[in-house]
Amino acid sequence: MNPIRKQRLYALIAILIGSLLATWLVTSALSENMNLFYSPTEIKVANLDNEILVRAGGMVKEGSIIRDTDSLNVTFTVTDYQNELIIKYEGILPDLFDENAGVVVRGNLNTDGTFTAIEVLAKHDENYMPPEVAEMLIEEK
Amino acid sequence: MIPELGHISLITHLILSLFAGTVPLAGLFLGRQSFLLHIERFSLILFSLITVSFLCLVYSFLMDDFSVAYVAQNSNINLPYYFKFAATWGAHEGSLVFWILAMNAWLIGFTFLTKSKDKKFSQLVFSISCQVMFAFTLFTLFTSNPFERILPVPPLNGSDLNPSLQDIAFTVHPPLLYLGYSGLLIPFAIAVAAMLFQTETRVWASYARPWALLSCGFLTLGIALGSWWAYYELGWGGWWFWDPVENAAFVPWLLSVALFHSLITSQNRGLFGKWSVLLSIFAFATSLLGTFLVRSGILTSVHAFALDPERGVFILAILAFFIIGSLTIYSVKDFAKTSSNTTYTLTSKEFGFLLNNLLLVILAISILFGTIFPLIYESITAGKKISVGAPYFEAVLFPFALALGALQGLALFLGWGKTTSFTFLKRLILESASIFILVLLILFILFDNLYLNSFVIIFLATWIAAGTLQFGKIGSKDYFKIIQRRSAVIFAHVGMAILTLGIAVVTNYSLEKEILLAKGDSYQIEELDVSFDSIEDSVGPNYLSKLAKVSFTEGSSTKQVIAEKRTYFPSGQPTTEAGIETEVFKDLYVSMGDNLEADIWSFKVQVKPFIRWIWLGALLIAIGTIISGVRLTRRL
Repeated sequence: MNPIRKQRLYALIAILIGSLLATWLVTSALSENMNLFYSPTEIKVANLDNEILVRAGGMVKEGSIIRDTDSLNVTFTVTDYQNELIIKYEGILPDLFDENAGVVVRGNLNTDGTFTAIEVLAKHDENYMPPEVAEMLIEEK
Repeated sequence: MIPELGHISLITHLILSLFAGTVPLAGLFLGRQSFLLHIERFSLILFSLITVSFLCLVYSFLMDDFSVAYVAQNSNINLPYYFKFAATWGAHEGSLVFWILAMNAWLIGFTFLTKSKDKKFSQLVFSISCQVMFAFTLFTLFTSNPFERILPVPPLNGSDLNPSLQDIAFTVHPPLLYLGYSGLLIPFAIAVAAMLFQTETRVWASYARPWALLSCGFLTLGIALGSWWAYYELGWGGWWFWDPVENAAFVPWLLSVALFHSLITSQNRGLFGKWSVLLSIFAFATSLLGTFLVRSGILTSVHAFALDPERGVFILAILAFFIIGSLTIYSVKDFAKTSSNTTYTLTSKEFGFLLNNLLLVILAISILFGTIFPLIYESITAGKKISVGAPYFEAVLFPFALALGALQGLALFLGWGKTTSFTFLKRLILESASIFILVLLILFILFDNLYLNSFVIIFLATWIAAGTLQFGKIGSKDYFKIIQRRSAVIFAHVGMAILTLGIAVVTNYSLEKEILLAKGDSYQIEELDVSFDSIEDSVGPNYLSKLAKVSFTEGSSTKQVIAEKRTYFPSGQPTTEAGIETEVFKDLYVSMGDNLEADIWSFKVQVKPFIRWIWLGALLIAIGTIISGVRLTRRL
């Protein structure tokens, strides 16, 4: 084989192996690390497996935040103004977490219908609403 | 009057950049000498115009001119003057003005430094750059005019700059990042010009290389500063979150690294010409794509710019125009001709660069894919929303980082064409193994613990370090001269090793605990004793705050830090300022949570070993690339 063609062959083989590996890697990593988003109404009908990590969200209901005084446990209710979901969380809540603010939580649904969050997200900006929550409220109002 | 002056100046910039973006182009292709411009003078005029615009905006901020809507939204009478100054680029509209300013600065650099023998080539590069600047100016004026007035009744006070942005690191993070993004304009314009003129690969690669290096350097600095800022300002103590905005900067960074490596081969061997053109196009395109993703609000991100779908469409149109335009030229022009017929083998430097580029580009694509996958998923499932978490990105990054690191340790020893001697391997293995053992020993002495998980990455770091340092010694007759000549690559590659080591250690050795403490109480985390000494109220220029004094006691040494919870009064928005005690090998970190009862607060306490090494590594990478870029501009 002449050197130029040989050279192209090397490049081609490297590209082929690289892209095959990447495709495999991306699909396998994606299937394990994709979290679906549910509103309180959707979560009611979704019949979720308790093991699966999902995201849920809505507005924090006024007067629903109950903190333990001797631990970091906190419960609060998120609502989409049709249904509600009780969230349990242990840890420090973000600065912008508040009543009547939009939040997104990540965690799993318990058998009793409550939700255990491992992460609570609120954003940099007080005027900012997580897009999932904003759209959900428009759709369901 | 001043805002109007800025506005008029921006409009003049729009008109003149359109002129400069079209007339010389027509001149070149119609063969009319009279259509060509005196580009040095012209670039100075454009630069002055945008500088006037920018300074008018700065002036409006410093003078508290709240009749200017952008100032009213992002400033406040009580804001300290240095933050008023920084607020100029703190939000969408002003950041665009800065961006255009930065593009102009790069273009001046190009016109004055690239004393190309080929005057026509410089004219074309100038003209293409002006088209991009025209598009940006048009975008700014039509969708994001920073000089828009609130008349006839301007507000008495502004609503304040987002409190988390009122910070020193933040005043410099965006300008550096924008300098990095906008610098990618120059290699892009050079690549397009090279296609149109069918310039020889070696020649155009030598023009493009310094600018690719310099943009990469500034991108590195900008990203590292952003990471440092997030670490202490957001109160989470993390340094990378795989947020879409971070990915939007990481992808062009990866491509710019691939680009300047590929350009080395193009300049020295006349190879990879087409590939380098494609990389120039896509490095530039991804820097625009990042802007589109962030500013249009289509991706969920912690970075909240004032969002407007109309802006998204506009940026997408700009992006489409330049990508489709350049790819059309790519497909119709027969370019990248090379005079030499060099060939390479599997052990050559060329093949090393090929693998480096392949890995970097596939990694960039995988990260980009994960970032926009929620959008793809939403559109194919009719509205189902998902998010792709950090574990995805980590899983994808890991094997690529391994391969890249393994390659990096060897790469400097490879020869053009083929590598003739592999004697370096023995020494490389010996040296990296001994550094590896030394590092493990130090870690064991410091932390009394070794984590098997971290071994691979730590070895990778020592492999890269050994490979770089040993390379520094090759053929050392005049040791000083060689180090001087190779300082750029040594800085950058050793920086990568330090960064890698930092990541390996911080990921495995960090401690993190959320606790409740009453004033006067303490808590034990391994050997560290954390005590909550006192809490007091304090007043800042535009905020009220609670200051908690927290002491860390380890053995006989006690260090006190101050953690802070601020409430900014114009907006009522709270922020958390972490208290951090920085030592050479670790940071002790505490941030305040909530006040549960009288003097009981929740705290997040963290021990972050080697975290500074991550930013130190990034700083060295930036220094290396910038040294190399500056040196190459001198050789133009």
